[in-house]
Amino acid sequence: MKAEQLGIPAFAIMTSKFVSAAELMSRVLGAENYPFAVIDHPISSASEHDLAHQAEQAVKTGVPLLMR
Amino acid sequence: MLKSKTYELEDPLAVQEYFHSRRWTDGLPVVPPTPQSVQEMLDRANLDPEHLIGIEPVRNRRMTAEKLAVNAVMAGCLPDHFPLVCESFSAMLKEPFLLHGATASTGGCAVLVVINGPVREQLGMCGTFNVLGSSDRATTVIGRAIRLILCNLLDARPGDLDRSTLGHPGKFSYCIAEDEEHTEWLSLAEDRAMPRGTSAVTVMAAGSPRQIMNEWTTEPEAILDTFVAEMKACMRHYSIWPGNYAIIIPPQLRTHFEKAGWSKKDIRKYVFEHARIQRKEWADCGKASVVGSQGEQEYAALTDEDHLLVIAAGGPAGGFGAVIPPWFGTKSKAVTQALGVCLDCGPQ
Repeated sequence: MKAEQLGIPAFAIMTSKFVSAAELMSRVLGAENYPFAVIDHPISSASEHDLAHQAEQAVKTGVPLLMR
Repeated sequence: MLKSKTYELEDPLAVQEYFHSRRWTDGLPVVPPTPQSVQEMLDRANLDPEHLIGIEPVRNRRMTAEKLAVNAVMAGCLPDHFPLVCESFSAMLKEPFLLHGATASTGGCAVLVVINGPVREQLGMCGTFNVLGSSDRATTVIGRAIRLILCNLLDARPGDLDRSTLGHPGKFSYCIAEDEEHTEWLSLAEDRAMPRGTSAVTVMAAGSPRQIMNEWTTEPEAILDTFVAEMKACMRHYSIWPGNYAIIIPPQLRTHFEKAGWSKKDIRKYVFEHARIQRKEWADCGKASVVGSQGEQEYAALTDEDHLLVIAAGGPAGGFGAVIPPWFGTKSKAVTQALGVCLDCGPQ
């Protein structure tokens, strides 16, 4: 959100376990329903294959956010 | 003029149930705040309701004295406790503390508050028996007030912004007074540049205390080796990154240091030099997958010796000490502030 405020194209990525926290922060910051990409949780123990899949998830949902 | 919204409820039980239903409590009963009790807090601290304690930067949220006072009443604070609540929170809002990260992280730390100086005696604080387990009224309610403020003003309730996987019991209250009376050492606050005789608070984003015991030696090095072993265990099992560690040394062990002429500075130097592990040690505790090619690389628990907070506290008998690890390396740094001293205030 800070990057976007500075005019830098950006989108946020949350793992599925942090969706509610991101929604709450969006409300607190006055940007309710702020869209973000959601990927599987967790990252830290994901295999190379899983990480590649999560990256694809992020791009698939994130690029439309950049183009909106 | 107070601005907080008021409610009228039938009886004390209804008040408690209402507060619980709104998630305004930590699960324990609260003292219902009234305009009078909130005003008494503010009067004692000589603060206007709108006085700005600080701004939480991530949410750009103003933390006013009135809102802190409401939560201090709820926690059971007396007006005399309130200046310490304000000072502690002011310290937590300083940039190096990284309040948002420390209170939202899955790491589940709590805010350890250490009180030094004459205010301890004035408020009946006890840095001896059961020091880490509600040793006295003042430290208990001040620590609880900090938690309620985090929950009610910054949404740090479990599952909201507090994403702690486990948390620890210090989240209820994690405030202690150093036992300055039974030691010749400099106090923690003096060690952190506060003048002698100054009342001060030190705040640290802290994990749960890890208790150690060694009653079978009088050698300072051997006693410290036990503390160091616990710090190294923490680096292996929890986090390898250096940060502010606190160690609590009780009177029975302090006697051996003082007889040998060891100061807190000597202790910090020894711990800094010895609390180190190699990355390959992770392989012994299930973390081989992240050792990589850097197995011989050495990691220190402290980036420099002054990052160790040495605290004199605990009951008179027993060789029990504690290691209190940092939340997450140097992401959050301990902050010490003098009570009632405003460095930003210019002459009026």
